Amino acid sequence: MKLHDTLKTALRGVTVNATRSMLTMLGIIVGVAAVVLMSSVGASMQAVILSQVSSLGSKSMVIFPGTQEGGPAAVQSGYDSLTFEDLAALKKLSTIDQIAPVIFLSGKTSYGTEESSPQVLGIVPEFMNNQNIEVTEGRLIDENDVNGAQGVAMIAPEVVTKFFGNEDPIGKSMKIGDNHFTVIGITKALGSQFFQSADNRIYVPFSVARNITGQKYLSYMTLNATESFDLAFDDIKFLLRTRHGIKNPDDDPKKDDFVIHSSEEASQILGSVSLGLTMFITTIAAISLLVGGIGIMNIMLVSVTERTREIGLRKAVGATKSDLLLQFLSESVMLTAIGGLVGTVLGIFFAFVISLVVVKFLGTYHFAVSLPSIIAAILMAAVTGLVFGISPARHASNLHPIDALRYE
Amino acid sequence: MNTSSFLIETRNLGKSYFNDDVETPVLFDINLSIKKGEFVSIMGPSGSGKSTLMHILGFLDTHTVGDYLFQGKPTVTLNDDDLSRIRATRVSFVFQAFNLLPRTTVLQNVMLPLLYHPTIPESQRISKTLKAIETVGLLDRKDFLSSQLSGGQKQRVAIARALVTDPDLIFADEPTGNLDSASGVAVMEALQTLHKSGHTIILVTHERTTAMHAERIIHIRDGRIESDTSDFQRIVAKDQEHLK
Repeated sequence: MKLHDTLKTALRGVTVNATRSMLTMLGIIVGVAAVVLMSSVGASMQAVILSQVSSLGSKSMVIFPGTQEGGPAAVQSGYDSLTFEDLAALKKLSTIDQIAPVIFLSGKTSYGTEESSPQVLGIVPEFMNNQNIEVTEGRLIDENDVNGAQGVAMIAPEVVTKFFGNEDPIGKSMKIGDNHFTVIGITKALGSQFFQSADNRIYVPFSVARNITGQKYLSYMTLNATESFDLAFDDIKFLLRTRHGIKNPDDDPKKDDFVIHSSEEASQILGSVSLGLTMFITTIAAISLLVGGIGIMNIMLVSVTERTREIGLRKAVGATKSDLLLQFLSESVMLTAIGGLVGTVLGIFFAFVISLVVVKFLGTYHFAVSLPSIIAAILMAAVTGLVFGISPARHASNLHPIDALRYE
Repeated sequence: MNTSSFLIETRNLGKSYFNDDVETPVLFDINLSIKKGEFVSIMGPSGSGKSTLMHILGFLDTHTVGDYLFQGKPTVTLNDDDLSRIRATRVSFVFQAFNLLPRTTVLQNVMLPLLYHPTIPESQRISKTLKAIETVGLLDRKDFLSSQLSGGQKQRVAIARALVTDPDLIFADEPTGNLDSASGVAVMEALQTLHKSGHTIILVTHERTTAMHAERIIHIRDGRIESDTSDFQRIVAKDQEHLK
C-alpha cells in the first residue's frame, strides 16, 4: 500500500468518528496548550527582563548606600554611607572606570502652569557613558556645565510630553524647587530599568545638585567594570569594607552598608528564572503528554478491538502486517499531531489574552511566542502518538485474519 | 515453469489446531484438484471443516499436514507477505456477513482491494471499480453508504469487491446465508455470471440447493472428503434415500 493511501485511510479512520477523535485529542490539546502558553509567558517575561538589563549596558554596575534586606532587589534607602571620599578612592581602582556619582534633587518641578515631580538626578558626563544616555535634540551635560555649576538640564521624553506637549523645550526655563534650569537637551527613551521608568527624569549637573542640597553623601554611583564583574565586585567590596571598617569574612551582603548591582547579576536572575520556568514547562509537558498518550493508547486499543472485523477484511483483501501497522500508527500520530496543532493555536490565543490583561494592569509586557517550544510541543505530541500508538498498531497488525474476520 | 493444468491441488492435506499442546485435528487427507474456470461447491454440515478448508485454499490460514499447490507451486514456503500478496492479486472472498466497511460508500468499499494491489495503477482504480459495480448492477447506488443498502445489495457489493482485482479464484462463504430467498437467487445469478465470464469460483455452503448452482460438488463430513462428483442426479437420489 502506498504511503499516501495509508495516510488517507488513517485520516478517514480519524474523521469517521469525529467526536471520539476530538475527545481522544483533548488530553494532548490541553497539554500542548499549557506548554505553549507557559513558554510564551516565559518568553515574554524574558523579553521584559532583557529589556531592563540591556538598557543598563553590558558592563554597567550600580553601588547603592544601605543594607540589603530580603534579597538583592530590596535596598534600604536613606543611608549616607557612600561618601565623596569613597568616590575618590574608587576612582583609583583599575578594575572599574567611568565612575559617576549621583545626587537626587528633590522638589516640585514646574513649567508655566504645569507642575509635577519627576526624578531629578545630579550627574557627571561619565553617567552618560555607563548608562548609554544620548540626546535626540540639543546636547548632553558636559564637563563645563559640571565645573561651572551651570543651571542647565536634560529632560527625558515623558517630561517633555508632560510639560511641553508639542512645544520645543530646548532653551526653555524650568523651575525645580526654587531654582531655574534651562533645557539644553532631550534624552533618548530608555524604557524602564528594574521595572521603573527611566524616561520620567530630569538630569542636572552634579555640582548644581550638590550645591542646592548641601548633601555630604552620594545617592548612588554608576560605573563600568573594565574587565570582569567578579574582579570589580571583589575590589569594590574590599575597598568599601576597609574604608567603612566592616569585617565580613563570610561575604554576607547583609553586613555591608552598600549594595552592588550589575547587569550580569540581573542576567543571572534572568537565567535562574528561565531555568526554573523551563523545568516547570518541561514537567507540565511531560505529565500532560504522558496522560494524553495513555488516553490515546486506550482509545486506539478500543478502536482496534471495535474494528477487528475491518482488520480481518483488510487482511483478506491483501493488507500486509506493515500496512496495518502503519495505518494504525498513522492514526494515532494524526490524532496527537492534530491535537498538538489545536493546542498550539489555543495556547497562543490564551497567551495573547494574558498579554492584553497584563498590559492593561502593569503597563509593560512583550507578547512573545517561543517558536522552538511550539515546534518541540507539536513534535513531542506526534512522538507521543508514535510511542503510545505502537502497542495498539502491533496488536492490529498481528491479528490472525480468520480470528479477526470471525470476531463478534 | 508451471506445467500443472490445475489451479489448485492438495495432497493428503490436513489441519490441526493446537491449544496448550493439545492437538485438535479438523481436516484429514484432503486430496482435491480444481481447474481454472471451474465452479465448485464445497458442501457439508456445520462443523464439517468446509470453512477451514476454504480458508486454507484462500491463503487466510495454513495447513499443518500434506501439500497445497497453487498453480503447481507448493505454498508451504510462503511467508506472511507472500500470502498477503496472493490475497491481494490472485484470490478474493465473498463472506456470509458481507463484511462491508461501515460509514463508507459502495464505491469506497469496492475500491478497497485496489489499495493493496501492487500492480494496478492508481489511474485505473476508479474505472475498474465502476466496472465491477456495473457488473453487479449497482452503478446507481455507487455513492450510497453501505448502511443504506438491502442485504442482497450488500452481498452484490461484496461480489463487486471480490472481482475488482480480476482474481484467479473467488471464494464465496455461505453467500446467501444472511439473505431472503429472492436476494439469494440474485446473488447466485451474479456468481453464475462471473463463472460464465471465466472466473474460477469455490462456493462453501451447507445448503444443497445453493451448492447445486455449481458444476461440481465436494461433500465434506467430519473433516474428510466424503464425495466429489458432478453427477447431481446421484446426489439427489442419495438425499431421497437419506430422507426415507
